[in-house]
Amino acid sequence: MLEITNLSASTGDTAILNSLSLTVNAGEVHAIMGPNGSGKSTLALVIAGHSDYAVTAGSVTFKGKDLLQLEPEERARDGIFLGFQYPVEIPGVNNAYLLKAAVNAKRKHHGQEEVDAFEFLKLAREKMALLDMDQKFLNRGVNEGFSGGEKKRNEILQMAMLEPDLAILDETDSGLDIDALKAVAEGVNALRDPQRAIVLVTHYQRLLDYVQPDFVHVLSGGRILRSGDKSLALELEEKGYDWVKEAANA
Amino acid sequence: MTGLTLPDGALASAVQSLPDDSLSENRQAALARFLERGFPTTRQEDWKYTDLNTVADISRRWLEGGAIPADNNALKKEIERICSSVDADWIVVENGVVSPAATPRIGDGITISTYSESSLAPAFEVPLADLNAALLTDGLHIRISVNAPDNKPLGLLFIDGSDDAPAVAQTRISIEFDAGAKARLVEYQASLGTADHYANAIVELGIADDAVVDYVRVQNRAGGHSQTHRTEARLGARSILRYNGFDLGGQLIRNDLDITIGSPEADVSVAGLYIAGEGQHIDNHVRIDHQTGPARSAQEYRGILGGRCRCVWNGKAIVQPGADGTDAEQANHNLLLSDRSEIDAKPELEIYADDVKCSHGTTVGQIDDNALFYLRTRGLDERDAIRALTRAFGASIVSRLSIAELAESLNEMVEARLTGLSDGESR
Repeated sequence: MLEITNLSASTGDTAILNSLSLTVNAGEVHAIMGPNGSGKSTLALVIAGHSDYAVTAGSVTFKGKDLLQLEPEERARDGIFLGFQYPVEIPGVNNAYLLKAAVNAKRKHHGQEEVDAFEFLKLAREKMALLDMDQKFLNRGVNEGFSGGEKKRNEILQMAMLEPDLAILDETDSGLDIDALKAVAEGVNALRDPQRAIVLVTHYQRLLDYVQPDFVHVLSGGRILRSGDKSLALELEEKGYDWVKEAANA
Repeated sequence: MTGLTLPDGALASAVQSLPDDSLSENRQAALARFLERGFPTTRQEDWKYTDLNTVADISRRWLEGGAIPADNNALKKEIERICSSVDADWIVVENGVVSPAATPRIGDGITISTYSESSLAPAFEVPLADLNAALLTDGLHIRISVNAPDNKPLGLLFIDGSDDAPAVAQTRISIEFDAGAKARLVEYQASLGTADHYANAIVELGIADDAVVDYVRVQNRAGGHSQTHRTEARLGARSILRYNGFDLGGQLIRNDLDITIGSPEADVSVAGLYIAGEGQHIDNHVRIDHQTGPARSAQEYRGILGGRCRCVWNGKAIVQPGADGTDAEQANHNLLLSDRSEIDAKPELEIYADDVKCSHGTTVGQIDDNALFYLRTRGLDERDAIRALTRAFGASIVSRLSIAELAESLNEMVEARLTGLSDGESR
């Protein structure tokens, strides 16, 4: 589904990703772990199409298409969802408006009929119940005045509404208490599907207790140093990131 | 003698051609005053950013052409459209001409008369009031008593326009709110027609003790049309004025809102929105004079600017000696969609009392790139995302609209204006 080959990217004069390769197939859950500054968030933003990052080498294909040629909104409509590490507060833009516009932009792109207000509400209520979210969030500004946990739940709600083919969740677990973490993990697990791929970007393995990954990759210095199954996450938790760096240098 | 005036002879004969009535003497005095003073110029601090050459030029060409707008079917249709779009009792002032016959039967508690009937003479001390008084056909005096029904707002439609030749309209309305009266008013300024137009209007609001007034001014003039507009309000003890101003259309627009708090415990809130695109100039001057305390005033204006345009906001609060217990806030926030847009924002405080609370804040910003990217990653295209963010910026003012009957119509106008901006007027 996602094929990243020798990808290098920089922002300004700073090179961040350094010839990174990664293949993600449908039905798989990948965890990308790494120390701060290793390039985890950059990788997520490059896949989503952030203009602050320039791709200097390599390629990214999504469902066989050259992803790097597409605008962020085209990537989204085609099935890529980025859950933000820091979801943006947008006062005055209604949460329901955004959800409905997002769902309909995707439906239109796929030649489907747009949902009307009634169908939309039905769908939104269903997904919110799943995430244990109060319906009052629909009528608030996007993330406006939301707590950290509410913002992350709102990201998962958007993901649940959009049903992406590829979901990249950037530090979705950071700043969550245990209840919020469980709710978010349940939301992610509910979306596990043979047709869908999920990439979890995380600093700690805590989230992986609740969402079991098929693959774990360790990112450092803008490239993947080591890949393995979920036992790698536990090993990392025990030995720290330096262990991987030392092993890679050896 | 200033640099910006009108040809004496032509102006004098325009004044002479008006009906010989109880206003005649006042017109001559106002004419003399205008000929001596002329239009305000950019050399005056209050007019530094707004050059009235445009309106002086339209006035000159109007005097040369001598056009009196003929019956105009398009104008009639537009009047019908506007009056049916907002559920209000409408008084229509067409090209500055008030006609008591055209005013609706509004019911007990509201009396409407012309200046000439009531032997009222319009004052002409402040700039442009002299031109207004000199060329005024007649003014309208409205009195709202404590018994006035409040089931519908009262609408004032100032509508102008001509297709034939440049035209000028002078409008003057004074409204007296009796003690304890409660009233809601919509002042709607509109125009159409292909010929250049200049409208100069003055509205006086006398708000007696304990009266509560919701007042909304909406300006949606045609592209080539300009206006200078002045509202003077005086508030009595414990009275409340909630004022909304929306400027969407027009070419050169200058609004002065001059509020005097003459008695204690008055409460004023002003919320305004201006949206300007290619070629527009919109200037809002707000002056709130706290002559006594305690009293509260708060004003917030927001501006959305796209394309090559210029807006001016000047908010001034004066706290006179002895006006202790004054609470005055002013805020102005601007969103610039183009690097060719200019805003001149100037908050001013003049404080001559000790026990006061005053604050002001001004911001000028652009579309937030992070918010834009966030919306795009959810599938909204760039244009829709910018429109959503722009709409959101104005929403905090639009949502404070104090007259519900106007909401639908106003939302449509704002949306249409924002569509115009995002369809190529900006950037």
